[in-house]
Amino acid sequence: MFGFHYRLERKAIGLVLAIIGVASIGGIVEIAPLFTIHQTVEDAPDMRVYTPLELAGRNIYIREGCYACHSQMIRTLRDEVERYGPYSLAVESKYDHPMLWGSKRTGPDIARLGGKYSDDWHVAHLNNPRDVVPESVMPAYRFLSRAELRTDDLSNHLKAQRRVGVPYSDDMIANAAADAYGQAAPDSPQAEGVAKRYGKATNIRAFDGKPKDLTEMDALVAYLQILGRLTDAAYKPMASAEK
Amino acid sequence: MVAQLTKNERQIALVILLVMAAVGLAMAAGGRNDPFGVHGALVMVVAILGMFGVISGYYAPEPPEDRLDSYYDAPSKFGIIAAMIWAVIGMFVGDWVAWLLAYPDWTFDAAWASFGRLRPVHTSGVIFGFGGNALIATSFYVMQRTTRARMPDQLSPWFVLLGYNLFCVIAATGYLMGVTQSKEYAEPEWYADIWLVIVWVTYFVLYMRTLARRKEPHIYVSNWYYLAFILVVAMLHIVNNLAVPIAWGSAKSYSLFAGVQDAMTEWWYGHNAVAFFLTSGFLGMLYYYMPKRAQRPIYSYRMSIISFWGITFFYMWAGSHHLHYTALPQWVQSLGMTFSVMLLIPSWVSAGNALMTLNGAWHRVRDDAVLRFMMVAAVFYGLSTFEGSFMAIRPVNSLSHYTDWTVGHVHAGALGWVAMITFGAIYASVPWLWKRQAMYSAKLVEAHFWLALAGTVIYVFAMWNSGIIQGLMWRTYNESGTLAYSFTDSLIAMHPYYVARAIGGLLFLLGAVVGCYNIWMTIRTAPSAAPETAADRPVLGGAVLQPGE
Amino acid sequence: MMSIDHDILVWFSKSFGLFYLIALSIGVLVYAYWPSNKKSFDQAAQAILVDDDKPYRG
Repeated sequence: MFGFHYRLERKAIGLVLAIIGVASIGGIVEIAPLFTIHQTVEDAPDMRVYTPLELAGRNIYIREGCYACHSQMIRTLRDEVERYGPYSLAVESKYDHPMLWGSKRTGPDIARLGGKYSDDWHVAHLNNPRDVVPESVMPAYRFLSRAELRTDDLSNHLKAQRRVGVPYSDDMIANAAADAYGQAAPDSPQAEGVAKRYGKATNIRAFDGKPKDLTEMDALVAYLQILGRLTDAAYKPMASAEK
Repeated sequence: MVAQLTKNERQIALVILLVMAAVGLAMAAGGRNDPFGVHGALVMVVAILGMFGVISGYYAPEPPEDRLDSYYDAPSKFGIIAAMIWAVIGMFVGDWVAWLLAYPDWTFDAAWASFGRLRPVHTSGVIFGFGGNALIATSFYVMQRTTRARMPDQLSPWFVLLGYNLFCVIAATGYLMGVTQSKEYAEPEWYADIWLVIVWVTYFVLYMRTLARRKEPHIYVSNWYYLAFILVVAMLHIVNNLAVPIAWGSAKSYSLFAGVQDAMTEWWYGHNAVAFFLTSGFLGMLYYYMPKRAQRPIYSYRMSIISFWGITFFYMWAGSHHLHYTALPQWVQSLGMTFSVMLLIPSWVSAGNALMTLNGAWHRVRDDAVLRFMMVAAVFYGLSTFEGSFMAIRPVNSLSHYTDWTVGHVHAGALGWVAMITFGAIYASVPWLWKRQAMYSAKLVEAHFWLALAGTVIYVFAMWNSGIIQGLMWRTYNESGTLAYSFTDSLIAMHPYYVARAIGGLLFLLGAVVGCYNIWMTIRTAPSAAPETAADRPVLGGAVLQPGE
Repeated sequence: MMSIDHDILVWFSKSFGLFYLIALSIGVLVYAYWPSNKKSFDQAAQAILVDDDKPYRG
């Protein structure tokens, strides 16, 4: 009797182990090499990290589910390159935890949106997309201008980002909240620190047109204006091909 | 429900609820300024209500010893009702967002009502709420029958079902507050993910304990599929959700993976969620309920085993077809494409096996809408797996990806296959579970069937049209060699199809509402099946007469 | 040195996968068509149709 039950249990456990084995090997074989991929991909030495304000904007982008309708991944197809710009490189999203490549274009791809439109355009568009694009089906995000940006936990955000591998310095972490404020208030004393820590090319502007308040609109527009602008790497292969 | 638990189980339940209440309190305190705290308060309230429930029934007499002479079906009943409630919620929100794409101003200027926050309520509501509850409920039913063993205890099935529904509620309310990881179909944040792991491990252990008590030496193939569903979903869930929370007391976390690794991990998860959540588990359902309802054994048991290993093996490699022409290395893309095409073999073996089972029972398919639900499910399974393999081919994907064609494909599978087989299985099991002769109204089952079929066909055709038009417009050049259409041009062309899709979805939703009413009336009013043993016999379509009767 | 690691992994993925696929397919087919398994398969397929809605208590 003991033998019979022993055989039964062994059978069930064998089935479980077989399922795990058969199912896991495919994933391991396919994914494992990707963790060494940085060895083969050209690095982008000019790549910079997101500023605290841009990171906060990115989190708003995530929170509102923008990725459900906008991709950030231009494929290596002629029409996409002509419509949206140089195709996306792996290195461009190496600091994106998680990536926001998207899977659907109910709206257009925005991998190279940064600098394409003015801040005013973005604010007007987010307040009511149909004011600037009458046929748009995008929701209106008026509440972003009303919502004050939460900055008290930004240091924690940067710390967690560093833990998963994004090179934020102690200095950046310590000044995260001040930098978020400074980036949207160009005349404030905090603005200088942003340029010092994140580079002279950083956009330091009153993104929503109101330098006094730091709103979620500031953060989101700051993020949209940096899309595709963290490195020039994507423009290089095209330039060399043209030569 | 508490009366069905033994004294010992009531005590354990109290301890579990006490721990949950304490954790909820700690979450509420730690996350005062965060949605995390709201969820903590929710957990605490739920746990305290549960404690009241257990305490009020604590001194009820223990369940009699002869309970062991019957299967434990109360959790399955709960799961089926929960599945129907989630079906209505999930499909209602789905249709709502479908209308938003046609009329984008219907958001009342409220953050929670915008498309981006509602969409995951729809996807999680139907996949996890409706599909997940149906899978758990039917797996409890099937594993007990096929092993001829009662579940080993009364507490763990309730822990699994109630815990799972708590996860679903936390997920859905979280999205409305903007709590999301942004990983598609894995949106819930870290604390909900951890809770799901606890629930899932209990589910697995319960399944294994029941299998260990089985009378039959051979494990029936449905259990293989359910087991693969449980095991692989656990694997996918844990790996894809690895993340670092920014602090205790915050709902926000950052994924351990970035960029291309994250993309591959996410679509390895995403595609295999389709495979093991939306295919494997429901095939387990099909392999039990269809033979049972048709009163014929499965056409080829061998084929069901071969396709089981084929599906378990091939799907795992196919995820990268979601990333064709992207920054993912090309050899990974090619590998994904190859295996996606090979996947057609086990998929069609399954679909063929199901349809061949109906050979000799076609008159029942004609007369019995319940069996017809299952038949149509098998047909749509065959169609959408063919479409999936086709769309995974790189040049096809260059057209279809990012368009509504993908949405159409997903819904051919989700409405045509997953929902149809689920409704079929639910209509079959409700009379068995509640010991009724038949469903309250066979006509309403019939009405539901036609609403569901019409809704699916309208939906899928609308999305095929809009997707292919969209894809073609984006790549059309005019004579001077420049792009012929702006993005906005393609958007204008979509409008009629978006309206049609929303109408198709509405029909499908109406069908589900009709189903809820019918199930409710069956439980409330239909006469009991007289002899105890008749309960397990499929009762064919109520008043409909069989040929020759 | 580091790029060799990546190449090795890719080589392993590309070659091993094929052998694994063949071996597994043979294994599954052998199991499914092994003559002595036929009886238990047939039994299992028929068993679910039996109308005895009670757990076995031996």
